[in-house]
Amino acid sequence: MKLRKYILHASLAACTLALASGCNKKLDVLPSQEVTPGQITTSEDVKAVLAGCYASLQHANAFGERYLVVADLLGRDNAINFVGTFAAYRAISVKQQDRNSSIAEDMWARAYITIAGANTVLDKIGVVNKDEQKVVTAEARFIRGITYFELVNFYAQPWSAGNTTANDAVPIVLEPISSYDPTRDKRPRAKVSEVYKLVIDDLTAALNDLPESNENARATKYAAEAFLARVYMNQGRYAEAAAAANDVIAKGGFVLVTSVDKAFNNNTNSTEDIFAIQQNKQSNAGTTDNGVATFYSAKPVGRGDLQIMADWLNNYEDGDDRKAFVYEGTSISGIDGTYTGKWKQQYKVVPVVRLSEMVLTRAEANFRSGGAPVGGVTPLADVNAVRARAHAGDLSVVTADDIISERFRELAFEGDRLWTIKRLKLKLGSRDYNDPILVLPVPQTERDVNPNMTQNTGY
Amino acid sequence: MSRFFSWLTMLMLLCMVSFAQSKQITGKVTDAKDGSPLPGVTVKTKGAAGGTITAADGAFKLSVPGNVNTLVFTFVGYADQEVSIAGKSSITVALSAGNKDISEIVVVGYGTQLKREVTGSIAKINAKEIEDVPVPSFESAIQGKAAGVVIESGSGRLGQGLKVRVRGTSSISASNQPLYIVDGMPVESSLQTDDDNEITNPLTDINPNDIESVEVLKDAAATAIYGARASNGVVLVTTKKGKLNQRTVFNLDVNTGWATPTMKRGFLNAKQYVELIEEAAVNDGKTDFRNHDTGYGSEPEAIAAYKKSYESDILDNYSLGTDWRNGAVNTNWENEVYRHPARSNQINLSATGGSEKTRFFVSGFYSSQEAIVINNKFTRYGARLSLDHAATDKLNVGINLSVNRSQLDRISQDNEFSSPSQLVAQIPISPIIDPNTGKLNSKTLYDNGLFDAQYDSDKQISFRTLGNVYATYNFLPWLNFRSELGADILNMNEDYFKSKLSLDGAGIGKGQSINAQSVSLNTNNFFTITPSLGSRHKLSMVLGTSYLQNENRNNITQGESYPSDAVKNLSGATAITTGIGKNFRYTFLSYFFRANYAYNEKYLASFSIRTDGSSRFGPNNRYGVFPAGSLGWVISQEDFLKESKAISLLKLRASAGLTGNAEIGEGRFLSLYKITNYPDLPGFQPSQLANPDLRWEKTFQADVGLEFGFLENRISGEVDVYKKNTSDLLLDVNIPLTTGYGIITQNLGKMENKGIEFSLNTRNLEGEFKWTTSFNIGFNKNKITNLQGQVIKSGSQRAVEGQSIGTFYMPRFIGADKETGDALYMDSTGKPTNNINRAPEVVVGSSNPDFTGGFTNNFSYKGFDLSVFFTFVHGNKIFNSAGTFQTAGFGNGYDNQTLDILNRWQKPGDITDVPRVSITYPTGYQTSSRYIYNGSYIRLKNVTLSYNLPKRIIEKLKIQGIKVYAAGYNLWTKTDYISDPEVSTTPLAGSSNTTRNISSGVDRYTIPQAKTYVVGLNVRF
Repeated sequence: MKLRKYILHASLAACTLALASGCNKKLDVLPSQEVTPGQITTSEDVKAVLAGCYASLQHANAFGERYLVVADLLGRDNAINFVGTFAAYRAISVKQQDRNSSIAEDMWARAYITIAGANTVLDKIGVVNKDEQKVVTAEARFIRGITYFELVNFYAQPWSAGNTTANDAVPIVLEPISSYDPTRDKRPRAKVSEVYKLVIDDLTAALNDLPESNENARATKYAAEAFLARVYMNQGRYAEAAAAANDVIAKGGFVLVTSVDKAFNNNTNSTEDIFAIQQNKQSNAGTTDNGVATFYSAKPVGRGDLQIMADWLNNYEDGDDRKAFVYEGTSISGIDGTYTGKWKQQYKVVPVVRLSEMVLTRAEANFRSGGAPVGGVTPLADVNAVRARAHAGDLSVVTADDIISERFRELAFEGDRLWTIKRLKLKLGSRDYNDPILVLPVPQTERDVNPNMTQNTGY
Repeated sequence: MSRFFSWLTMLMLLCMVSFAQSKQITGKVTDAKDGSPLPGVTVKTKGAAGGTITAADGAFKLSVPGNVNTLVFTFVGYADQEVSIAGKSSITVALSAGNKDISEIVVVGYGTQLKREVTGSIAKINAKEIEDVPVPSFESAIQGKAAGVVIESGSGRLGQGLKVRVRGTSSISASNQPLYIVDGMPVESSLQTDDDNEITNPLTDINPNDIESVEVLKDAAATAIYGARASNGVVLVTTKKGKLNQRTVFNLDVNTGWATPTMKRGFLNAKQYVELIEEAAVNDGKTDFRNHDTGYGSEPEAIAAYKKSYESDILDNYSLGTDWRNGAVNTNWENEVYRHPARSNQINLSATGGSEKTRFFVSGFYSSQEAIVINNKFTRYGARLSLDHAATDKLNVGINLSVNRSQLDRISQDNEFSSPSQLVAQIPISPIIDPNTGKLNSKTLYDNGLFDAQYDSDKQISFRTLGNVYATYNFLPWLNFRSELGADILNMNEDYFKSKLSLDGAGIGKGQSINAQSVSLNTNNFFTITPSLGSRHKLSMVLGTSYLQNENRNNITQGESYPSDAVKNLSGATAITTGIGKNFRYTFLSYFFRANYAYNEKYLASFSIRTDGSSRFGPNNRYGVFPAGSLGWVISQEDFLKESKAISLLKLRASAGLTGNAEIGEGRFLSLYKITNYPDLPGFQPSQLANPDLRWEKTFQADVGLEFGFLENRISGEVDVYKKNTSDLLLDVNIPLTTGYGIITQNLGKMENKGIEFSLNTRNLEGEFKWTTSFNIGFNKNKITNLQGQVIKSGSQRAVEGQSIGTFYMPRFIGADKETGDALYMDSTGKPTNNINRAPEVVVGSSNPDFTGGFTNNFSYKGFDLSVFFTFVHGNKIFNSAGTFQTAGFGNGYDNQTLDILNRWQKPGDITDVPRVSITYPTGYQTSSRYIYNGSYIRLKNVTLSYNLPKRIIEKLKIQGIKVYAAGYNLWTKTDYISDPEVSTTPLAGSSNTTRNISSGVDRYTIPQAKTYVVGLNVRF
């Protein structure tokens, strides 16, 4: 009896002790749906971070929606009517966005997430297999370069406004942040010229090392070159722009699709997509509150918030396929209207640069620089090539205005119009090209935590 | 730690010392009133473990250790009595019925204590106040019952999360909900399924009718034994247990209820709406002409043009060809939001009893409750078992186990067009049924939520097993060991289906299935040491360890493209769009010790210390130590007061201590990359920046309390003054977005809460007609004392140094311009401006109340009982965020307007604070203090009238009792607010703690509270 008691007591005590000491190890718990930096050790891991950058480009705050939709709303003029209810979009549509604009903040944040990813890849490039290092570096620099290009476009006065060494653009970050350093990380805005230099450096490096074609619609030499053409156009460096565009046209092997509607709503890149964002049912920029198709397509596919104004369609001649590339629909607010056919379906490829843009860029650049056309094709022939595909009649002569009008018609609702107006110092309705409201505010939250950050005029 | 273990081992060895001599005592207990024997009286040895229960003839026999000189007799409804047994072997005891105030037991962490010896601040709520209340979860039932405990149910939806704050909000980025402990076991109170819908409440799985008492531990002395998770207070739920030597009693309770909204807002009818649109056209025509915007030749021409345009865009468009000029359609969309009325039914059956060694409680229940809002419903059923068996005179084993199934039929969140609550935005000239098609109108101003209501479904089903097994062993009369192992297994499934006919179904049909599982294992092992130190000294100590491990799994599958509505589960989704599998895990390892000492029942002292280790912090700061101490002085036990008739109790107590908060989720101290899924390119993306030094958020709390009882406790109560200083706030600190990360979790900042709590209970009338009153009030002032200059925003609310959390910052609205009808705001120089961008955002109020409380009167006469309960909240502000649509005069769309628009500015000279209506030149529609309201209210929360059938009838029926009752809830409310003042849009489940903590008091199409009538029958047999 006594012995039994002792055994009972001793085992109870032992249990308590065993339990307590065994538990100490149980306090080490690692997350199971994320990885820690210590788990990024192989070439495949670093390439996965690069893949993460592509996902970032697809995000609604990048090419998946806002790089297009916000540019279109800012530059909407007589083309687009915003009939939606989201206050942040409506504010941009009526040019009343303020420094607390959630859209300005979210786009800014996403761009720097993309850049952080690219910087991480560049930082860990030594881990990547030797034979792949060059291409991986080039892809990371391509992604970083085009992201800085979008940033300088949205958050700074355009190059055409001059004062490029004085006008503030955005902070330049070129290395990954592994721990927060309040001194280092409160960076001031770099100047417009500095950001352009970085963009050109990155894109030129990418151009040199990227392959001519790449799997999974990843960056290619021609994607980098096409963006370079955009950069040069912004800077008015027409000869270089013409050369870059011509290189893409002549060597890239891209072909205009046979009819306008085939350039959009594709499951994979069309033959005229130089760079495009891929989407599918599992991976996309959003289907209910976000995504370019969500805003541009009528109910029930989308919200139907962006309707095409009748005035706009008057810019096309009858018989122009692009005039007919619209449909009637209703917004979720019960407002009937006309919608562009470009973004009619969800889950489709979002073209970022198409061949027709390069053709029109070459035409314009050649026209403006004069002399013998680069590539041996006259601006008139280039414009007519684009028009012919849309079954619009041939022009017999072109002026600079004709080329720009053609550009507006061809690239409508793809986020190009605003930048063309800015680089050519055109009027946007009654506003000047450099009206401060056409530049997004630096997010107020960013200024709250970073006293070195200046604000754009008007906010 | 090793020293700690050697001490533990020493203690274990101590247990094995041989026992002292013991002796036999026999006796009998009778009723002092008539000398009849009292069966079932608990007989315990004082200062030692061991005891028995009297038999049917009132007799008992007990073996007591030789050093025990006193026996304690306790029985429900009778005053406790202590009897000396020195030198006796047989005694007779007569118990008299009396008040139990003095011998009341309260549950504390890892034990119980006599209320009179408690030195901490604890509010106790008894079963009677929780039973039969028509609410899904018990916390709603304790609203207004405990001073300093603020409970906001926020909405008339069912199954939604509640905001519970014990002595204010003490954190910005960690959770502020208290720790819930059921029968000693911490329970999961936050598991969620759908991140895109509002927070639900896992505590609804606890049947309020199974609860014996709820103790809310408020000050550090009471809570610090729960260390790292105790900063927000601890709610101890004790479930019903059986009693030894009691014949089995069955209790059947059936009730049924009817509910309607407490109040409706009231919207314009078709005629008023049309008038208002026409007026907007006149206003806009005049403005256009005056500004030469379009270049009309004359004012009438301009007005005519605007009329034509608005009539065709709005009135013709949305009336679907019906004659809006003559009021052909006059739809009251607000009526479509609600049921007429919502019904509820509840049935509870329990049995409890016990033999000499075994006692039990079993219950089963079914309840089904409709929310006042359509499609929202809560149904549950379940059972509970509590069993305790004395295996030997030293060893007790037992189990508490409940199983429960509940189903919540949900509606989408308040901010979705598909939510029924947004139907009020539709305009009265829109018919519900399209006359052209004979089907639901699909061409309404906003997508018609009735499609979603009719075709979509969203069911959250949870299965929960909650229970523990335990053994207690009395090594020695003064040394008891208890080991408990508990499990909280919660399985939640949520399936939604969105038909291709509804807005959310987007023409293709969408579905989702979520399976969330949380399994907590908890073991507590502790010694209770109550050495006998003579009659003057009473010492009681607790020493033990606790380990908690939680595993959380969440699988989400979404699909779309359904061939038809016939198949609603994911088999019908021909394209799977999302598949997510998540699991989390956290662990806590803790050691705790507490000593309570009382000298001569006069001087009290208590000390506790707990050390916690948690997986939530990195190796640098994994452990935290949380000590607390308290002192008490029972002044009424002093000689100069002992004989006083006027003063029955006077106790002064003071406490101070440290508690922690770790409720920030998992892995926050690590650098992380998340998974990305670009087509065919799986990848990683930087998502979180490391802070290896992350540690506990600490709250130091000091409390001074006075407990009093006068005139034989006919007047009794407590006053507490406290101050809580939280430092090392676990804060999601904003850092420059240019780093690629928006935030980093740091220990930064300080916050303070200070307040006074007062409660008073009086027995105003005694005798045949009884009248008792309870009153409680709690004042709390929250202030953020240091954030190192950070401004943390959530909508229009902020956390800013020097202000309370959730302070509203908005441009200050000062009225409508007498001449133009423009909204006027105060600019930075204090002058009026009609340009809102010139008006700085200033403090326009706080969502935190200055004080809250409750007031209850109970009357009883013969078999009748009447209880009348008021709650009140004072000093908080409500932001009617939906007002920017529904009172904005069309500035944010053509939404139907609330009736206050009838006071709008109409012509120069009108003095009003409602600006003119306008569609093209809108004014006053942006967020501003125009939409801030005083949220104070007093509400008749509950009136219950019950009647117990007289004894002679009961005896004839051979049963123990029959009670019939009728109750009403939220019957009357006085408030300045334009709708129900108990309102706060519940945050989305996926929103961050920071957002949840800062955002409150925002009404965005929120469903008002229910006014409920219940009738019921209770039979005991």
